[in-house]
Amino acid sequence: MNCEKCQDLIEDFIDGSLGQEDQAKLNLHLEECLGCADVRNDLQAIVSFCREHRGEYSAPPNERALWLRIRNMIEAGESVPASRPARASWGSWISRSWELSFSQLAAAAAAIVLVVSLSTVVGLRRWQSGDAQFKASGPDAGLQVGAANVRDRVSQQQQLISYWNQRVEFNKARWNPEMRETFDRNLKVIDQAVNESFDALTLDPHDEVSEEMLNAALNEKLSLLKEFAAL
Amino acid sequence: MESFTLMKTRTASARPVHPRARQLNRLALCALLFVCGTLSAGITQGQQQLSKRYPAPKNVRVVLKNISGTITVESWNRDEIKLTMILESPKANVAPRHNGSGLTIDVMADNPGRSDIGDVNFKLQVPVSSSVDLETKRGQITVSNIRGDLVRAHVSLEGDIELRGISASQVFAQNTIGDIYFDGEFARKGTYQFQSGKGHITIRIPAESAFHLTAAAPTKQIKLGEFWNDKFKNLGGGRKYEGEVVDGRSKVNVTNFNGSITFMRR
Repeated sequence: MNCEKCQDLIEDFIDGSLGQEDQAKLNLHLEECLGCADVRNDLQAIVSFCREHRGEYSAPPNERALWLRIRNMIEAGESVPASRPARASWGSWISRSWELSFSQLAAAAAAIVLVVSLSTVVGLRRWQSGDAQFKASGPDAGLQVGAANVRDRVSQQQQLISYWNQRVEFNKARWNPEMRETFDRNLKVIDQAVNESFDALTLDPHDEVSEEMLNAALNEKLSLLKEFAAL
Repeated sequence: MESFTLMKTRTASARPVHPRARQLNRLALCALLFVCGTLSAGITQGQQQLSKRYPAPKNVRVVLKNISGTITVESWNRDEIKLTMILESPKANVAPRHNGSGLTIDVMADNPGRSDIGDVNFKLQVPVSSSVDLETKRGQITVSNIRGDLVRAHVSLEGDIELRGISASQVFAQNTIGDIYFDGEFARKGTYQFQSGKGHITIRIPAESAFHLTAAAPTKQIKLGEFWNDKFKNLGGGRKYEGEVVDGRSKVNVTNFNGSITFMRR
């Protein structure tokens, strides 16, 4: 017996209306086939539950009125798509089968690349010209926003630095003591440069020299950490 | 397989001076010799000197990446490279790679996963028109009398950099702690960058040098000497100077986070 035949007979088996020969064949198959045995068990559990709880559900007071209400709701439901065209069109748009030619696919890919490139360029330009825009918006606003901008950038750099610092600390134990001492001493020098530039920028957010020095010191620290993370 | 010449470092000797009896004198001498011998044996066991020569074209490129130790490069009048190295204990593996156009020595790549190796001190004698690209994490770099395209000396951490008699179109010198001294010429359309975290940067060049300079030092210790002129822009109250000397043929960028920048006439 195969699984298809078995599952045809399971219903009769559970109802107890199956012939002895078929029942013997079915039992043989169910002993060998775990999938069909699971189906039998599930179906048997459902039927048993229904049998055990038969009569526990009270019939509605007016069965005919209930069925009429259900039929009215079904009929009203058929007109719903017409009253909600937007949702229907989205549904059909999503559920339609998308069979595109090669040229359509290429055009779609090119459009995606163009949109991503443009948004990246615009984003970068905005980021780079952030200071200039802040300065143009007035001296007081510029001071506050400029300082915030520097803090944001430092914060971003510090996150990277923190990541690489963890990697360095992980490897540091393997270095010889002299190298460890030298590294710590040199990192302090760079940290001092970072702190001094940052302090100067806090006092005067438009101090371009301090900003350049801060960027250079942060980059220097980052490259040093990257280099020593690989040691 | 490359063969190296192995030489042990010389042992030091001392002569005891004692005005007492002859026997005591002999005893003292023996004891001293024994102590000296033991000490020097210990030193020589910790060091190994290797040397090797390689044929090289005049404009050979030498790339050296060291971890810890000094690097000395000087020119000579031969079309070959002589590499001499002294390895401290625990000894590093060093496998120079030589091909027709250059020599590459990468101590880092030759010792993967070994962070405890001892110093390797290099001395390289190269043709005068060589390009040299030198890196070490710790240790002094000295380059003398090179007239090639590139001279790059990078000390990631601590170590002085001395570049003497240099005439190259690209010069880069960078360290974190240590002095940088450049004595040479700026070539037309050349690029020159010097950066230190803490130390003194001194640049000694001919009086007729022509260059565009950007020099920044938050300590305000920027001395342009005879190269200063009215065209220089003073930015940040003396922390940065930018301007041209003569026609600004070459680009010179000097940054010192905590130290001085000094220009001197040769």
